[in-house]
This record gives sequence, structure tokens and C-alpha cells, in this order.
Amino acid sequence: MSDCHDGCDSSRRDFISFTLRLTGGAVVMVAGASALGSSEAPKSVGEAYDWNEHLWAYLVDTTKCIGCGSCVRACKAENDVPEGFFRTWIERYVVGMEDSHVDSPNGGMDGFAPVQVGFVATKSFFVPKICNHCRATPCTQVCPVGASYRTKDGAVLVDAESCIGCGYCVQACPYGSRFIHPATHTASKCTWCYHRITRGLKPACVTVCPTQARQFGDLKKDGDPVRVAIEHDRVQILQGHLLTEPQCYYTHLDKEVR
Amino acid sequence: MPEITGFAFPNDIHVTWSLMIVMYPYITGFVAGSFIVTSLYHLFDRQEFKPVARLAMATSFAFLLVASLPLQLHLGQPQRGPFVIITPNPTSAMAGFGILYSFYLLVLVLELWFVWRPEIIDRAKRSRGFARVFYSTLALRTYDLSPEAREVDHKAIKILAGIGLPAACMLHGYVGFIFGAIKANPWWSTPLMPVIFLLSAAVSGIALLILLYQVFARIDGRPVVATCVSALASWLWFFLILTITLEQLELIVMAYEKSESWIIISQLLTTRLAFSYVTVQMIVGGLIPLILLAVVVLMNRYLHDKVRNTLATVAALLCLIQVFAMRWNIVIGGQLLSKSLRGLRSPFEPEIFGREGVLMAIALFVAPFVILWVFDRVLGIEEPEGGVADGHGPPAVPPAGAPAGSHVP
Amino acid sequence: MEHARHVFRIVLVVAVMLTVVLLARGFLVPKSYGMYGPYRYANVAEQMNARTPLYAGAATCAECHADEAAKRSAGAHKTVNCEVCHAPLGAHVKADGSVVAPPIDRSFTLCARCHRKVAGRPAKFPQVDLDQHVNAPVEGKVCLQCHDPHSPKP
Repeated sequence: MSDCHDGCDSSRRDFISFTLRLTGGAVVMVAGASALGSSEAPKSVGEAYDWNEHLWAYLVDTTKCIGCGSCVRACKAENDVPEGFFRTWIERYVVGMEDSHVDSPNGGMDGFAPVQVGFVATKSFFVPKICNHCRATPCTQVCPVGASYRTKDGAVLVDAESCIGCGYCVQACPYGSRFIHPATHTASKCTWCYHRITRGLKPACVTVCPTQARQFGDLKKDGDPVRVAIEHDRVQILQGHLLTEPQCYYTHLDKEVR
Repeated sequence: MPEITGFAFPNDIHVTWSLMIVMYPYITGFVAGSFIVTSLYHLFDRQEFKPVARLAMATSFAFLLVASLPLQLHLGQPQRGPFVIITPNPTSAMAGFGILYSFYLLVLVLELWFVWRPEIIDRAKRSRGFARVFYSTLALRTYDLSPEAREVDHKAIKILAGIGLPAACMLHGYVGFIFGAIKANPWWSTPLMPVIFLLSAAVSGIALLILLYQVFARIDGRPVVATCVSALASWLWFFLILTITLEQLELIVMAYEKSESWIIISQLLTTRLAFSYVTVQMIVGGLIPLILLAVVVLMNRYLHDKVRNTLATVAALLCLIQVFAMRWNIVIGGQLLSKSLRGLRSPFEPEIFGREGVLMAIALFVAPFVILWVFDRVLGIEEPEGGVADGHGPPAVPPAGAPAGSHVP
Repeated sequence: MEHARHVFRIVLVVAVMLTVVLLARGFLVPKSYGMYGPYRYANVAEQMNARTPLYAGAATCAECHADEAAKRSAGAHKTVNCEVCHAPLGAHVKADGSVVAPPIDRSFTLCARCHRKVAGRPAKFPQVDLDQHVNAPVEGKVCLQCHDPHSPKP
């Protein structure tokens, strides 16, 4: 039962044909790249996407997160994340003057239940976590075969065909973002939904966040709200002393968060 | 599912580097440690190590052949293991494995070849059929054993030992670097890590040779030379002191500085690692051998040979356990604490069967001894009675009625 | 040097082995490796193409479901993506354009996940203490009996 008018079929078709066109372009590019080798390097990655034109960044406003877990569920559905592992998760902090309590039941996938703590709590909040796609990332530094790399547009990805599953990147990530996929036995992590952002969409977690606590933006686009926030507001990053230059920025981050 | 105390990042609860990654530094430790002993003779001309020099080189080789197996068994995609050599990432310490392993293997095989040339040529001349083809190919169809040729060999051995010693140290030191350079894990991240690994490798190598020397001597019917045992014990004591000092120093500095990670690390040491670190690594494996070896070294001239051998053997066994415990505490211990620095997971229990299980680890430890036995059958570890001089010290005097076919140049 | 003949032989053997290894390596390195860094560049396009996007965003839903979208935009759920409560677009419209009726979650659990009063939620966010909500206790009862999900009061 739908109330749609004639425009509906064409817009559905548009979405799908847009996807198929990009897919076709990418397939041609891949076939060309592997057939011709390095002598004819394509300058861009696909017909409609040039990675030189973008520099992605992620912004989280922790005052807005309600801990509903929609992001975790959406990421799991969008990326086929295996049970028990997380490309993104939510942490709850209950903080008092004497003590603090942190939990993340099943990564926050099913939301949070009320919690009893053994101290007087003065503040509490939720903190979404993802891979920080660091600019000076230790995970690509230690990968022995170059399966983990950073693209020109700022995403840190894992080439599942080259990964040997040694687990060094998992150990090197200070944020606990990586895991070894139990079925493919290769390293896996948040990709900023690379298959979406290269098509003009946002990552799934950003798309579904009901309070817009999670935002995704382009540092090369003038007037981009994420870029404006990072350039002009007070923002924080996780474990800044490690100089990994994470590209996931937070506003209103508390001292308790690591 | 492991039990967590406190809060651990959701992906942090899995121990990715398991028993095989504990075995790998343990085995390469023997490679480096044995090579240090054989270099003390071949490079630094310390005559008290002559009885054990060839055994040490063969031991280094036997363990080297097994060294890459724990890594292969651990990989999520083992058939892609060679990618480390085909597309190595120059910033990755782990990628160094391909080069360092191959290079040291080359140097050691070459040195073995030069040291064992007389035996190879001897067996080439004495055997028939397929064995003859084998040995003569191994000899590269040159049979020159003149004093000039042996002088050339002697020079080559010295050069190779000179290259091989840093190569062996790099082969084990880079493993320490792999851990020490991970800023994400405060239990691992310290510049001391490569040094600690290397020093405890020396401990394990020397301890193993104390045991193997006596075993092989008994099998071959040769006497156990007292000066060799006391020299091995002295060096073992020396390296043990250094190792324990550095391990404790790291802990003391961490405790004094009380930086961010100290709370969870002290919890780790007092709860999850209380037995394996304090009891096994420090007391049983550290303090007791320190005392036993102090007796052996400081009271050397008052000791009966049997007492010295027994004390050294017991100390060596305990040191072997200490070095294994140290690898376990670093590798597994570092993964029991979450990067959130707020949580610990329950102790890791390795599987019994399976690719990374206990039985596999035992098999990997036993395999080099099998290789040593094969080596002894094919080439003979020690020089045969009345055998050829290899240019070091006075040539052996053949006993009356030497076996037919043995050469005296 | 007559007496060093064996040295020359072994050096030759080693040189041959090294050459073979280097040659083999040359064949085995993937073609797109190293173009922009120590990684296989072809993988970038593969990642772009790894899967079809599943979620589409509220604007795409509005193209067919304009009425529900209008109601939603006027109410308190205007910032809530349709796909949070409903299935993602990919479960509703297939690649060939065919439409499948998506599962719709009408359970108590769905609403409680966001609106149960829990420490951590911002104070201004509408949360409900389920022991004190109107016809208390409402634990387990279907919220939709009183609330319209596309424009819940207030």
C-alpha cells in the first residue's frame, strides 16, 4: 500500500541505475588496472568518484547520543559484521567524584538497561566509538604485507585478499577498533562504509542516528558543517598523546573517556 | 566467552596471539642463544667452549629449521605467508622476518658447511650409491683438505661467525622490537624490550646447551669437560643477572612513575599473572637459579665435578622454564589487559589439540631434537675420534688402531 | 687461488639461488602494488564495489511514502530516520526494482530502546520512567496503543 505517484518508480530505478553505473565503472576500472598494469595508472578510482577531491572526517557530539544502538545495528546489517565483533560500539559512562563505571553490553547493540552503581553518580553519558581512521595510524605502519593502507581521501582500509591474518594490526590499534574476522580469518574493521561514501551517501551509522550525534563530512568542501566545527569549535580526540592524528573528532568529551 | 573484570573494549576480549606466538620467540631464542655460545669459540677463540661449539652450531641450525613453523601455524591465511617476502611493507618490523630469517639461515648454513667440510668429504669418499651422490653434491665436488684450504675455511668461518652473530641477534631482537614498538599496549611498549628478549634468549640457549652437552656426551661416551660446564654456567649466570635486572628495572620504573597504565598493570600482575610471573618467572625461575649458579661460579674450585654438573643442570632446567614463563607473561599477559586500561579478561587457556594447541607446541619443541639426531646420523655432530683438525688449537692425536678410513691430514 | 676453489663454488651456488628468488618475486608481485603506496591499489575500487548500500535515508523513503514523511516532519520524530524503526531500503526494494513488504517492528522493545529512562541519556531527551508513565506500569505493553509512531506526542 503506497501513496506514491508516478515519480516513484523512476526514482527507485534512478537509485538502482546510479548504483549499477558506478558498479560498472568500477568494474571496468579494476579490469583495466589489472590488465594494463602500472604503465597506465588511472588517475581516479571510478568514473564518478575522484579520491583527490575529498578528505573525509567524522564528528561525534557526545551530548546528543542517547545510547539507542541504532548505529550498531545498522552497521552490522550494512556490513555483515559477525556476531560478537564490532565495527562500531557505544560505551556508557556513569561518573561520580570517587569512582566511575563504564559498560558496553553487546557493544550497545540492543540499547542499554538501567544500571546500579555502588557510588554516588554525578554525571553519565554515552560515547560512540568507531575506527578513527588515523592519519598517522600505527595499524598501517605495522602491517607486514601492506594489506592495511590509507586511501588518498582519508579512509583506512584492509585488503582482504592480501591480509595474512597475523593480527599485528589488531595489537597495534590503541582504540580496539580492529578484530580478526572469524570466518575469513583476516583483519576487519570500520571502513566508513567506503562503498557508500564513494557514492555520495553517508556511512550507515550516520544515516540512521536519530539524534544526529554522529556526523560525517568532507574537509575539502567549503562550508561543510563538520569541517566548520572542527576548524572553529573546541574539539577533542581520543588518546591524543599517541600522536595517531585520528580523524574522528569529539565534542564535549569527558576526561574519563579513553 | 571470557570473563571480564572492569570494562574492556568489545573487540579487545579475544587473545589473537596465542600459544604459537609464545613458542616463536622461545624457539628463536634458542637459535640466538646457541649461536652466541658457538661464536664464543669460533669468533672469540675462547677455548673452554671447544667441546660444545659444534653441538651449539648444530642446535642453532635445528631450531632455526623449526622457527618459521609457529608463525605459519598461527596465520589466519597461512598460504599467504610468502606475501611477507613478496610484498613486504618497509615500515613493518614483522616484515623483517623474511629478510632476517633468510639471511641468517644462509649465513648459518654456509658456516655449517665450512665447519663440517672434513666430515662431508670423508663420508663422500667412504660411501657408495645414493649416499655417495648425496655427500659429494653436498661437498660441491671439491675434496681439497690441504692445510691451505683449511686455512681458507678457518678464515671463512671467522667471517661468517662475525656476520652471523649480529644476524642471530637481529633475528631474535626484532621479535622484541615487534612488542616494544607497540605504543598501544603499555605492558609491551618499552625500549628495553628487544634487549630483554635478547638477553633471555642467551639465557635459554646456554641453559639448553648445558643440558644437551651432558646428554650428548653421555650418548657418545665422551667425558663431560669440567671447564666447559663451569664456563657455560658462568655465562649463564651473567646473562641471567642481566635479564632479571632489566625485567625488574622495567617494573620498578613503571611503578615509580605511576603513569596511566600502572593501575591496570599492577592488577594484572597481582591477579591474572600472579602465579606465572611472581612464582614461576621471578622466584622459581629467577631467584633459585641465581643462587644455584652463584654457588657453581663462586665456589667453582671447591666443587666436585658431579656436584657442579648437577647444580648447573638444575639451574639450567629452571632457566628454561623461566624463559618460557617470560615469553608467556609478555605475549599472553599483554593481551589480558584491554586497551581501555579499565579491564582484564580471564586467563587464557590454550586448546589442547588444534593448530595452535598444546600438543602442537610440544611437537614444535621436540622437533629440533629429532633434527639434531638426524644431523648426528647424517654428518655426525662431534668430530670423530682421531678426526681432522679444523685449524683451532693442536690437532687431535689419533689413538692406536684408528677406524679404517678416518683421515689425519 | 687453487685452494679456495670450494669457496668460489659455494658463492656461485648462493648467487644462483638469490637470482632465482628475485626473479620469482618479480613475477609474483601484484600489478597494482606500489602505485600509490605499499598496498594493492586495485583494492580501492574493489572496496568501493564491495556491496550494495543497504540504508538509503529518509529522503529516499519520502519519494514513495510522502504522506508518512510529511506527518513525520511535523512531529517529534522529524530527525529520526525511517530505517531506525523500519527495515533498511535494501530489505524493501530489491536490486531489480521489485518491492517486498518489509518487516515492521511494532513491539514494546523498539520504543523502550530509545525512550526508557536510563542514566546516560541527555536530560532534555524525552525519556519515560516506565513505572510512572500514565497507565503505569507499562513495561511490556505496546506503546502504539497510545502513540502514533510517525508523530508521537508531544
